[in-house]
Amino acid sequence: MDVLDNLAQGFELISTWQSLTAALAGLAAGIVIGALPGLTATMAVAVLAPFTFFMESVIGIPFLLGIYKGAIYGGSIPAITINTPGTAAAAATALDGSALARQGRGRLALETSLVASVIADLIATFVLIFVAAPLAAVAIKFGSPDFTMLYLFALTMIAGVSGNSFAKGAMSVGLGMLMACVGLDPVSGYQRLTFGSIDLLGGIALVPLLIGMFALSEILIQAEKHGRRKLAEIDGADQGRGLDLRTFRRLVPTILRSTGIGTFLGALPGLGAEISCWISYGVASKRSKEPEKFGKGSVEGVAAAEAGNNAVCPAALIPMMVFGIPGDTITAVLLGAFMAQGLLPGPLLFQQHGPILYGFFAILLVTNVMLLVFGLGAIRYLRHITRIPPGLLYPSVTVLCFAGAFAVNNATFDWIVMVAGGVAGYLMRKTNVPIPPLVIAMLLAPGLENNIRQSLTLSDGSYAVFVESPLAAAILILTLTVTVFFTWRSFHLTPTPQPPNPSEEARDNEKDLDTQATRHGHRRCRHGRRRRSDGRVPG
Amino acid sequence: MAEFPDKPITFVTPYPPGGSHSLHAGVITTVAEPYFGQPMISVIRKGGGGVVGAAGVMKAPADGYTLLFGDPTINSLRPQVEDLPYGTDDFKAVARINYSPAVFVARADAPFKDLKSMIAYAKSNPGKLVHSNDNKNGFTYTVFEMLKFKTGTDMKGIIYGGGGPAIAKILGGETVAYAGAPSVVGEHIKSGKLVGICTTDFEPWPSLPDVPTCKSLGTDIIFHFWRGVVVPKATPEPVVAKLSAGFEKLVQDKGFLRLIGKINSRVDFLGHKKFDALLKKEQADLKALYDSLK
Repeated sequence: MDVLDNLAQGFELISTWQSLTAALAGLAAGIVIGALPGLTATMAVAVLAPFTFFMESVIGIPFLLGIYKGAIYGGSIPAITINTPGTAAAAATALDGSALARQGRGRLALETSLVASVIADLIATFVLIFVAAPLAAVAIKFGSPDFTMLYLFALTMIAGVSGNSFAKGAMSVGLGMLMACVGLDPVSGYQRLTFGSIDLLGGIALVPLLIGMFALSEILIQAEKHGRRKLAEIDGADQGRGLDLRTFRRLVPTILRSTGIGTFLGALPGLGAEISCWISYGVASKRSKEPEKFGKGSVEGVAAAEAGNNAVCPAALIPMMVFGIPGDTITAVLLGAFMAQGLLPGPLLFQQHGPILYGFFAILLVTNVMLLVFGLGAIRYLRHITRIPPGLLYPSVTVLCFAGAFAVNNATFDWIVMVAGGVAGYLMRKTNVPIPPLVIAMLLAPGLENNIRQSLTLSDGSYAVFVESPLAAAILILTLTVTVFFTWRSFHLTPTPQPPNPSEEARDNEKDLDTQATRHGHRRCRHGRRRRSDGRVPG
Repeated sequence: MAEFPDKPITFVTPYPPGGSHSLHAGVITTVAEPYFGQPMISVIRKGGGGVVGAAGVMKAPADGYTLLFGDPTINSLRPQVEDLPYGTDDFKAVARINYSPAVFVARADAPFKDLKSMIAYAKSNPGKLVHSNDNKNGFTYTVFEMLKFKTGTDMKGIIYGGGGPAIAKILGGETVAYAGAPSVVGEHIKSGKLVGICTTDFEPWPSLPDVPTCKSLGTDIIFHFWRGVVVPKATPEPVVAKLSAGFEKLVQDKGFLRLIGKINSRVDFLGHKKFDALLKKEQADLKALYDSLK
C-alpha cells in the first residue's frame, strides 16, 4: 500500500539518534511546561520554535511535535494533583481528576489520564495518516452559520455539565461572555468596556485570568483550611492502586467515543483541545452508567476529558498541513515553524515534501510510545505531589502563578487580572458557581461573535441563515434538546452532595445498563432510544 | 553618558506568535547582536490587532531602547480612521525591512477569471460578489476598498479576523474572492484552487510571475504591506540614525539572508530618511482615500 510504503520510508528517515533525542527532549520539556500552571502549550512551542529555525527539519520539527504532545498531556498532571489545570485544555480533567486525588486515588487518575491520552493520540494519528485529506475536505465546507451553532452547542454543554445547577453554569457562561467583550470591537474598532484604559484595549488576557481563577483561588481555599488537614486525606496503601485491566476495559467505549469527538473537532479549523475536552466530557456523562459520579471522582470523566483533548493534537495538524489553516493556536505556531523549514503547508505540501511529512507522522507514533513509558515511570513520583505538605506546595505554586501570569504577555497589568481572577474564583467556589464555564466562554465568545457577524453579513441581516444550512439546523436542534434536558434535570434533581439514592435517575440508569448488555451491534438503535427517553421522561 | 546602545534593546512585535511578523522578528533578533553591540530581545505584546503593542511602545521612553515592529495597518491606517490612543505622528521611522503586495484572487469556479470580468460581474451584480477580508481597516480590507473606489463597484466583504480563516472560507466556498500576501495565496494559486487576478505592486511578484499587476490592467492600485521598525517620536535623531545604520548592515548578514529565505521572505531595505518619506506619503494617500469614502 502506498501509505504504508511512505510510512516505512518515514520511519527510516527519522530513525537517527538526533531525531529521536530531539523528540524525547521536546516531550520531556513539554510535560514540564504543560504541568506548570500558566505556561501553556502554545507558549512553550512559541518560545522554543525560533531555536528550531537553525536545525534540520527532521530534528527541529520532531522537537516541536514532542513539546506539543508533552504539554497537552502535562496539563493534566496539576489538574489532578492540585486541582489546577496546567493548560486550559485540562480544565475538564480537573473536575474528576482532583476529586479522585482527594479520595486518595491519585495514581488511578494519573494513569487513566495517561492511558486515555496515549490511546486517543494513537488513533487520531492513524486518522491523520490515512484520511487526512478527505477529512479536511469535509471540514473546510463548514460555513459561518455552522460554526455559530457549533459554538452555541459547546457553550450549552459546558454550562450543563460542569456543575450541579444549569442556572449557575449558564450564569458563569454569561459572565465569561461579558468579559470577552472587553477591548476593541473586532469589526468597528470601537472601544468596549475599556473605561479608557490602554491595558484593556486588547481585552482581558485569558491565561492570567485562568491562572487566577483556578490556581490562586485554590490556594485561597487551602489557606483557609491550613493546618487542619493534609491535601490528600487518605495516605497509604490505597494511593498506590493504579489502573487495572478490568477498569480499563470499562473505559474503552468512553475513550473511543471521546477520541472520535476530539478527532472530528480538531480537524475543524479554529476549534481546539479546550472545546473538545468539554464536549467529550459532556457526552460521556450522558452516556455513562454512573452519571452521578461525574464531577465527584469519575474515572470515566478523566478518561473522556483526556482522550478528548489529546485526540485534537494530531487532528489539528490535518487542516494545517492540507490547507495551511491552523486548527488551534498551537498549530498556528507550528505553521510558522514549518514555514521556517521551507515546508509551506498547503495543498502542495504532500506532493513536494511527502517523505519528510511521513517522517513526522512516524515521529508522532514514536513519541506516543515514549509518552506511555515516560509517563508510567513519572507517575510513581508525581502522585506524591498530593502528599507534599500544603505549607510547602502552595507558596511555591503562588510564585509560579505570578511568574506565569507575567510571562504570557510581559505585562504587569496581567498581575491585576490574575489577582482579581483569584478573588472572583474564590467567591465563585464559595457560592458553588462553576469556574470552567466562565473561562471557556471567554475563550469561545470571540469566535461565536465573529461567526454570528459573518453569518449576518452574508445573509444581509436575516436570521434565517442559521436554519437554512442543514448542518446548522441539526446542531441547533441538538442544542435545544440538551437545553431542555439540562433544564429538566435541574428541576427534577435537586443537587445531591451525598451519594445518590435509588431515584428516577438511578432507575433510568439501570435500564440503560440492561440495554448496554445487549448492545452488541445495536449502537445506533440504542442511541435513538436513549435520546427519546431523555426528551420524554415526565418525572 | 555612554554611547548608545549600552544595554539590551527591546524589539516589540504587536502580533501573536506564528504570524509573519513574529517569524521575521525571530530572525531579526537572533542575528542582531553584532550589529548593535547589544543583544536585541524579542518581546511579543499582542492584543487589539496590534494596537496594544503599538500603544505600549508609544508610551515607552524615547531613548531608542524600545522598538516597534510596525506595519501600514497599525502605523498608517487605523490611527486615522479609528479612535486609538495614538496617532500616525506618534512614531518616527527607523528602517523598512521588506514589503509584500496584495494579490487579488478568485475561486477557480468563480463566474470571473480576470480583473476585467470581475469588475463586469460586480457591476452587473451589485453587492453580490462576496469576498473574504482579514480585519476591518486591515491590509486586505483596504485594497478591496481601493478596488471598489477606483472601479465604482459594490461588493460584500466578510471580516474573518485573520488571513487563516479568510482563506479557509474562500477555499470552502463561502466567499469567491480575496486579496492576500503572496506567501498566503501563492500555494493555492499554484495548486489551481484559486486564480490570481492581479498584484498591487509596480512589477509582478517574483514567485508569481504569471499574475499581472493591477496597474498594467488599467486599475491603478499600488499597496505595499511593509514590515518596518519605528520608535516613539521624541527619540533623538542621532539614535535613530544609528539604529537605521545597524539594520542596514543586519539585512546584509549572510545568516540573516539564509533565514529570511527560509521563511519565504526577502529584503527591501529602506533607511530612516527614505522610509520616513514613504510613510508620510502613504499616510496622506490613505487619508485621501478614506476622506473620499465618507
